Amino acid sequence: MSLGVVALWVVALVALGLCFRHGGGKARRAGQDAGQALAKVLPVLLMALPMAAFVAELIPAGWAERWLGPDSGLAGIGLASLAGGLMPGGPFVAFPLVLGFLKAGAGPSQMVALISGWAILGLHRTLAWELPILGGRFILLRLTASFALPLLAGLLAELLLPLFPGIPLR
Amino acid sequence: MPAGPGGRSLPPRMLRRNATFLVIAALTLSAATAVWQLRGQAAVVHALLATWDLLVVVLPSILAGLLLSAALRQLVPPGALARWMGAESGLRGLLVATAAGMVMPGGPMAAFPVVLVLAQAGADRGALIAFVLAWSLNGFQRILVWELPILGPDFALLRLLCGLVLPLLAGQAARWLPIRWTPADAPGLQGTRPGPTPPEPGPGGGMPR
Repeated sequence: MSLGVVALWVVALVALGLCFRHGGGKARRAGQDAGQALAKVLPVLLMALPMAAFVAELIPAGWAERWLGPDSGLAGIGLASLAGGLMPGGPFVAFPLVLGFLKAGAGPSQMVALISGWAILGLHRTLAWELPILGGRFILLRLTASFALPLLAGLLAELLLPLFPGIPLR
Repeated sequence: MPAGPGGRSLPPRMLRRNATFLVIAALTLSAATAVWQLRGQAAVVHALLATWDLLVVVLPSILAGLLLSAALRQLVPPGALARWMGAESGLRGLLVATAAGMVMPGGPMAAFPVVLVLAQAGADRGALIAFVLAWSLNGFQRILVWELPILGPDFALLRLLCGLVLPLLAGQAARWLPIRWTPADAPGLQGTRPGPTPPEPGPGGGMPR
């Protein structure tokens, strides 16, 4: 178990302890909420995790290296931003896919752009959740204000990358 | 999440949730079939083993993340932050909205209803955009549960540093843009207006105002 997981458990248990201090009812509701959320998340998760693995098997060898490699520069960052926007599903699909791309030789800056494109443009989330809850006008406002930001994130990563010798470049 | 303005129309929500599962199931099965046809049985087994390895790593984080998310929902009333995020709040309002978005736990089914709550409580469009972007880009829960365990601390830190100021930029851009949005434009709010709404006249009684 990594340090991050341990830290997360500590924070979660502290929060649960704070609920207990507000009375047993809050803690019980928190436990029920967590259980219900797990029941909703787990089926989708168990179906989505293999999808990421299968898609990773299907991506031709060298694709990520050729188009999104560390030397692909601004073009690669732009392509990655767009590809991120089209990437389906929640974090359970996206991050395993990014791991697969990194192992296949994609550049870290391009992957920063990909994750940012997925988080900001994310077609799937926009259509499935934002449109029905907040409406088309909100989406227009948000996308106009933010569509160029994945590119900016990728360029920032290009600048900061020399400070991160722990990230391997293939 | 039963809370939130969208909570009244249960059947469409349930349909949508099942639709997500069915769409993902269909995609997974087609991907599995394609792998079987193009790369053979060994590749299918390889993918399933990779899935199992990942599940073992990720499952403890998911359990802790869901517990944390549920406990925070009990402790932090979402409306409590809204008075800091009005149109006159300036850069401070955007910073508060960004921080709120980062600590906002849960998926889109939790975050977008909170946007409505914040909007009704007086947050302006710049703060709302900053909130949504901070949640989707830099939400702590997602970083801790997914990004850190899967991609490692170095990459997760680089990615976070590159995304840290983006919600502020988007919020400021939204304040400059001449695109107005009010909660009344939201389909998720139609038919449900918590707050000081005049009581609806019953059938046959009262005049329409």
